[in-house]
Amino acid sequence: MSVWKRLWHSKHLYLFLIPTFTLLLIFSYYPPISAIYNSFFQWDGFSKRVFIGLQNFRELFTDRVFLASWRNLFILLGFNLLIGISVPLIVAEMIFNVAQDRWRYIYRLLFIIPMVVPGLVGTLLWRFILDPNVGILNIILEAIGGEGWRQPWLGSPKTVLQSFMIMGFPWVSGVNVLIYLAGLQSIPQEIFDASRIDGAEGVSRFFRVDLPLVMGQVKLLLILGVIGGLQAYQSQLILTNGGPGYSSMMPGLVMYQEAFSYNRIGYASAIGLVTFILILGATYINMRYVKSASDITG
Amino acid sequence: MEHIQTQTTWWAQLKKRQPLLHFVLWILVLLTFYPFIAMLFMSVKDNPQFVHARWVPTLPMHFVNYRYAWQAVGRYVWNSIFTSGVTAVGVVTFCSLSAYVFGRFDFPGKGFLYILIIALMMIPGVLTLVPSFILVRDLKLLDSYWVLILPWIAGGQPFGILLLRTFFEGLPGELFESARLDGANEFGVLRRIVLPLSAPILGTLAIMNVTSTWNAVIWPSVTISSNRYKTIVFGLWGFQGQYYTSWGPLNAAYAISAIPLLIMFAFTSKLFIQGLTSGALKV
Repeated sequence: MSVWKRLWHSKHLYLFLIPTFTLLLIFSYYPPISAIYNSFFQWDGFSKRVFIGLQNFRELFTDRVFLASWRNLFILLGFNLLIGISVPLIVAEMIFNVAQDRWRYIYRLLFIIPMVVPGLVGTLLWRFILDPNVGILNIILEAIGGEGWRQPWLGSPKTVLQSFMIMGFPWVSGVNVLIYLAGLQSIPQEIFDASRIDGAEGVSRFFRVDLPLVMGQVKLLLILGVIGGLQAYQSQLILTNGGPGYSSMMPGLVMYQEAFSYNRIGYASAIGLVTFILILGATYINMRYVKSASDITG
Repeated sequence: MEHIQTQTTWWAQLKKRQPLLHFVLWILVLLTFYPFIAMLFMSVKDNPQFVHARWVPTLPMHFVNYRYAWQAVGRYVWNSIFTSGVTAVGVVTFCSLSAYVFGRFDFPGKGFLYILIIALMMIPGVLTLVPSFILVRDLKLLDSYWVLILPWIAGGQPFGILLLRTFFEGLPGELFESARLDGANEFGVLRRIVLPLSAPILGTLAIMNVTSTWNAVIWPSVTISSNRYKTIVFGLWGFQGQYYTSWGPLNAAYAISAIPLLIMFAFTSKLFIQGLTSGALKV
C-alpha cells in the first residue's frame, strides 16, 4: 500500500490526535520558536521589533547581575543536589530496615503528608522561622549561644543564600524517599542473603550492595534535580526579589524582571535561550557520564 | 534432649525493637512536621497571643480566624478548584484520545508525531514563560480562567500521553477483538472498554495534574491581575503585606489552601498507589 493509501485508511485515527495537537501547536510549539526569534531583537512587547543580531547575547556575558545570578545558582544547586540526593537515600535506607511492615508503611505515609501543603506556604512559613527578630531559629540560637549567635538570615547578603539552603530542613519530605524505597524494595532478597553470607552487614552492605543497585534512582534524581534547579527562582522571587542588592538573584529571576518589570522582551528571551542550552548540555553530560545500575551490572 | 540455647537476653530482645532507628525516624518526622504544626497553632491565635507566645500553642483557640480567612480567600479557593479541576478533566480526556491511537494502532508518521510530543518535555519553563505571556496577551486571554486552563492542559499532554500510552499498550488484545466483532467503532471501544479499565491510571494522572496546577504561582502571577480570577496559592503571596497585623487569619488561610488537596489525597490514596504500581511507571 502506498503512503497515501495508508494515510487515507487511518484518517479516522488522526482525528483522535486533533485535540492534543491543536493545543500543543498554539501553546507548546509556538512559544519556544517565538522566544528564539525574539532573542535576536530589541523589543518592548508593544512597538516594532528592532533587529540587533547577537547583541543581547553579548550583553548577557557582560551583565554583572546576570553573571552573579549564575554564581548564586551554582552555590544553591550544589547544595540542593548534595542534600536532595543523599538525605532521602539515608532516610529510605532507614525506613527499609525497619522490621515491621506496619511501621514501614506508617513512616512512608508520614513523610509524604507534608506534600499536601502547597510549596509556597512552606516557603512563607520558613520566612517566619527565619525572621531575624521573632523567628524561632534565632530564638533557639540565642538560647544556645547567646545574642551573638543570632543571624540576619534573609536580610543580609552574607547569610541570604544560606537561608535558602536551610529551608526545608530536614530536607526529607517528598517523592525522593519514595523513589529510593521503591528501588531498595526491588532488590531481590537473594542478593541480601548472599551478601550476609559473604559477611557484609549494615554499613558495609549499604556501600557494597544497596548503593550500587540504586544508582539508577540516583542518576534520575540527579538529572531531574539539575533540570529543575537550573530554572528555579520562585522562592527568591517571593521572599527577596533577588536581594538584598543582588545577593540572591537567580538567572530565571533576572529573566522575569527583565521581561515584566523592564519590558525587555528580547533580552529576556535571550536569557531563556541561554538557560535552555545550558540545561540541554547538563542533561547530556548527566546521561553520558553518570553511570547507573544498569550500566554497572549490565 | 538438648535444648538449643537461643539468644534471649533482655538486651538482645530490646535490640530487635530497633529503638535507635525508630527514635531517629521520629525525630525526623517531628522536625519535618514542625513548621506545619506551628502554622496550625498560629492560625488560632489572636494578636496578643501571637505577639507574646508565637511559637507555642496557646489557649483559648480562636477558630473564628478561619471565618475571617475564608472571607478573604474563599473566592480564590473556588477559582483553584475550578481551574485545576477543569484542567485535570481536559488533560485526562485529550491524553486518553491520543495515547489510545499511539498505543494500539499503526499509522503513517506515528513515530515522528510521538517524538514530537515527547520532545516537548525537554523544553524548560524559562524558555516559554515570556513568549507564552505575549501570546495569551495577544489572544486577549489575560485575566480569565482560560488563560490558566488552556496552557495547563497543553502542558500536561506530553507526560500524560507517555503515561497512558504505556498503560494502553499493556492491555490484552482480546478485549479489542471482541468489541470490534460486536461492531463498535474505535471511539466506542475507547469509551466503553478501555477507559473503565484504566480508571486507576487515569486517576493517578488527574491527581498528579491537580497537585501541580494547584501549586502554580509563576504563571498566574504573570497572567492574572484581578481578585476575580486569582487562584489560592498565588493569592496567598499577595497577603504578605496586607495581613501584617492579622497573623492568625493569615495562617488560617495557609491551612485552608492545603485542605482541598488533603481531601483529595485522603479519598484517592488507594487509587493513587494502585495506579503507581500498575506497571505503567517504570522508574
